[in-house]
Amino acid sequence: MNMNANDPKGPHRKRWGVMMNIETDRVDELLELIWTLRERGVSDLNQLLAETKDEEARSILRMMIKDGLFEMEGNRVILKERGEEKAREIIRRHRLTERLLSEIFEMSEEEVEEEACKLEHILSPGVTESVCTFLGHPPTCIHGKPIPRGDCCAKFKREMKPLVIPLEELGLGERGRIVFIAPRSHQRLDRLSSLGIVPGSILRMHQKNPSYVLQIGETTLALDHEVVKDIYVKKVE
Amino acid sequence: MESCPTKPTSKELEGEKLILLGNPNVGKSVIFNYLTGKYVTVSNYPGTTVEVASGSMTAHGKKFKVIDTPGVNSLIPMSEDEKVTRDILLQEPSAHLVQVIDAKNLRRGLLISLQLLEMNLPFLVILNMWDEAKSRGIEIHLENLSKLLGMPVLKAVATRKKGLQKIPTHFRKSLSASISIHYPEAIEEGISRILSLLPTPLPLSGRSLAVMLLSGDESLSEWLHQNLSDQAITKIETICRETQAHFAEPVGYLINQARLRKVDELLSQVLKSTGRPSLTFATSLGNWMIHPIWGIPILLLILYVTYQFVGVFGAQISVDFLEETLFGEWLLPPLTRGIQSLIPIPWLQELLVGPYGIFTMALTYAIAIVLPIVGCFFLIFGLMEDSGYLPRLAVMTNALFKKMGLNGKAVLPMVLGLGCDTMATMTTRILDTEKDRIIVTLLLALGVPCSAQLGVILGMFSGLPIYYLLIWISLIGGIIVLVGYLAAKVLPGKGSDFILELPPLRIPQFSNIVVKTLARIEWYLKEAVPLFILGTLLLFIFHQTGALNLLEKVSTPLIVHFLGLPAKATEAFIVGFLRRDYGAAGLYVLAKEGQLNEGQILVSLVTITLFIPCIAQLFMMVKERGWRKSLMITAVIFPIAFGVGGMLNLFLRLLGL
Repeated sequence: MNMNANDPKGPHRKRWGVMMNIETDRVDELLELIWTLRERGVSDLNQLLAETKDEEARSILRMMIKDGLFEMEGNRVILKERGEEKAREIIRRHRLTERLLSEIFEMSEEEVEEEACKLEHILSPGVTESVCTFLGHPPTCIHGKPIPRGDCCAKFKREMKPLVIPLEELGLGERGRIVFIAPRSHQRLDRLSSLGIVPGSILRMHQKNPSYVLQIGETTLALDHEVVKDIYVKKVE
Repeated sequence: MESCPTKPTSKELEGEKLILLGNPNVGKSVIFNYLTGKYVTVSNYPGTTVEVASGSMTAHGKKFKVIDTPGVNSLIPMSEDEKVTRDILLQEPSAHLVQVIDAKNLRRGLLISLQLLEMNLPFLVILNMWDEAKSRGIEIHLENLSKLLGMPVLKAVATRKKGLQKIPTHFRKSLSASISIHYPEAIEEGISRILSLLPTPLPLSGRSLAVMLLSGDESLSEWLHQNLSDQAITKIETICRETQAHFAEPVGYLINQARLRKVDELLSQVLKSTGRPSLTFATSLGNWMIHPIWGIPILLLILYVTYQFVGVFGAQISVDFLEETLFGEWLLPPLTRGIQSLIPIPWLQELLVGPYGIFTMALTYAIAIVLPIVGCFFLIFGLMEDSGYLPRLAVMTNALFKKMGLNGKAVLPMVLGLGCDTMATMTTRILDTEKDRIIVTLLLALGVPCSAQLGVILGMFSGLPIYYLLIWISLIGGIIVLVGYLAAKVLPGKGSDFILELPPLRIPQFSNIVVKTLARIEWYLKEAVPLFILGTLLLFIFHQTGALNLLEKVSTPLIVHFLGLPAKATEAFIVGFLRRDYGAAGLYVLAKEGQLNEGQILVSLVTITLFIPCIAQLFMMVKERGWRKSLMITAVIFPIAFGVGGMLNLFLRLLGL
C-alpha cells in the first residue's frame, strides 16, 4: 500500500512558501517519518536515514536534537515531549486532510496525497479541530492508520453539525453510506464485512428498537447497539 | 427418486463428486433434495444444517456423490460451519462445484464466487429465487455475468423445481475468467512472499491459500503442520505479522473490502434495478413482527396459538385419546391378557406388563404421553423456522436476553428447549462464543421444562387455582434470569455480538414441514424410546430388589422434611433423572391419587422443574461441553433445585397454606 504520509514529494515542496518555511517543512517531514517508522516498530537511525528523501537529513537532525525535539539512545531515535507533540499534530493534520479530501471531496488518491502533503504544514489548530469535528472524529486515515486524537475528540463537541454521523443517529428510513467502522475487534469487522458491511456500502435504517434493524441491499440484518455504535455514515439523499 | 436425464457421457465429467455451496438460506438443501431425492433439514434459520448431508445422483450415465455444505458468508472461516465448507473444498479439489446464490442477494453471493475464482476452482452458478428477485424489481443480465465470471450461470426457482433440470448438463471444468483482484501493495507483497514458501502441488491455488493465511485464518494451521516444516510456518507467521504492521485495520478486513469493491464493479455491469419494489403483504407483516409495539401482540398471539396447539390439542386432547382410549382400552388389556396366558413366568410378566413394565410404563409414556406433545411442538417449530419468524423472535427478545449476558440469538435454543432440552443443548452450537453456550446449556438444564414435562406440569396446574401457575412461572422465570445474570458475571470470556440475518418472511411449504417434523419424530423415537426402556428397566430392578425402598429411605429426610412431600415422591425424582417428564408424570399420578395437597404439588413441581436434566440431556451436555463443565453445571443445579423447593415449602407453611 502507498504509505505516502512519509513521502515528501520533491518538486511541489520546493515551490511552496518562503525559505524559512522550507526549513520548518523539512523538520516536519522528518518528525513525520520518525512517527510513521515508530508505528512500524522501527526506531533505528540508519533506517530513518535510508528512508528519508532529504539529502541533508543528518544536519537537520542534528539541529533538531539541539532544539530538543528528540534524543538518541545508542542508535535509537527517541522523541522528546516537544517533538512528540509536534509530530502528533503533523500526522493528525495529514491524515485528517486525507479523509476530508477523499471522502467528502471524493478526490483521487494521488490528488489527495499531493494536497495532504501541502496542507499538513499550514492548517491552523482551529481549522484542524473543525475538520475533525466535521468528519465526526474519525479514528483512522484512509489507509487504515490511526489518527492521533485531538482536544476536540476528547470533548466530542457537536456544535457544528457533522456530515459524518454515527449510524445510530441516522433517522428511521434514512439511507447512509458507510464512511468508516471503528475497528474494535478484528473478528467483528470480518463478520460485518462478509455480510457486506464495509465502507462504501449503502444501508437503510429500518428500526432502532427493540434491536437495530438495517437493510443492506436485499439483506436485512438485526444488530446490537454495541455493534452499531462503531459504524459511521454519511447521509445519502 | 428424481433421476436426471442420462445422456451419453461428456469428456468433461471425470470427477465423481458434486458439491453444493453458497450463503445461508439460499435454497441449497432444496436443490440437494431435488438432485438426490433424499430429505435433509431445510430452514430459514442459519445454523440448522450444521452437519453435512450427502446423497447420490445419476447423470451422464454415471453416479455422483452429492454433498450439501453448511451455508457460508466467506470462505475464510469465521464459524464452525464455514470451516467445514472450506475444509471440504480443501479435501475435494477435483469435485464439481455448484454455487447457489440468492438472486436478490447477488452481492453477497458474488463475494463467494470471487473467492472460488481465486482458488482456481471451476463452478456452476445457480441464481435461485429468481421469482422473488423479479418481484422486487431486480434484473440480472445472465449472459454478462456468465461472461465476466467465465462460468455457466443458470436461473432457478428451486422450491418449484424450475430450472433445476439443467444442472446435470452444465457443470464443467474449464476456467476462462478474466477477473483478478488487486489487493493493497503491502498485502500483494505478503502474498508473493508466502507463495514462495508453499509446497507444490497444492489443493487450491497458492494465491488463495496465501490470502487465507494473511487474513489470519487460524483454522488452516492443521493443514499447515501436515504440509510444511516448522521453520516455514514460523516464516509465514512473521510475514503475516509484518504485513499486518502496515495497517491499523485487520488484513482480513482489507482483503474483504477489496473483494467487495470488485463485486460492486461486477454488479454495475450485470444488475438492473427496475424502480422501487412494491411493498408486499409478507414484507409488511415481517416488519410488524419486529416492530417495537406491534411486535409484542404478535409475539403473544403466536405464543398463545402455540400453547393452544401444543398445550391443549397435543397435551390434553391427543394425550387423553392415546393414553386412555388407545392404550388404556384398546391395546393394553388384550396385550396383558395375551402375555399372562402365553408367558407363565411371573417376573417376566411383571417386566412386560406390570406397574413398571416395558409396555405398560415405558412405551405408554413414550408414545401416548410424550410423542403427541413433542410432535405438535416440532410441527409448530418447523413452521416458525420455515416462515422466518424465529430470527424475528430473537430481535424481539434481544433486550431481555441482554440482561442475562446473552443476546437474542439465545432465544432459539431456549424456545427449542421447551420442545426438547436435549435437542436444544445440541443447537447451542449456533451461538458464537463458548461463554454463551455454557450459560444457555446451564439455563436449559436448570429451568427450561421440555414439552413433555411442561404438558404434565400444565395438566397438574389445571386442577389448581390459577395463582399457583403464576407463582410457578414467576419463580422459574426469576431464577432463570437471576442465574443467567450471575453466570454472565462469574464466567470468564466475552459475550458475542448480536448480528443476525433476517430472511424474508415466506409461506412455508407444507410438504417440507411435514417431512421435517417426521424426521424429528423419527429422531425422537430413536433417541428417546431406548432411554425410556432403560429407565423403566432400572426402576423395575430397583423395585424388585428393594433398592427403591432403600433409596427412598435415604432421601426421605430431604424429600419429606425439607420439601414436605410424601416419601413416595422420591420415586418421581429418581425417575425424573431418566426422563424429565417421567418424573413429572410420577408426580401427576401421585396427585391424581390424592397423595399431594395443593402446596405440595407446587413445591414438587418447582423442584422437579429445576432438578437436573434427564439422562439424555446429560449425555448431550457431556458431548457438547465436556465432562468438567457438565459436572460443574450439575453441581450448580442440585442445590438450587432443592434449596428453592425447601424455601418455598417453608414459606408456604409460614403462610399456613
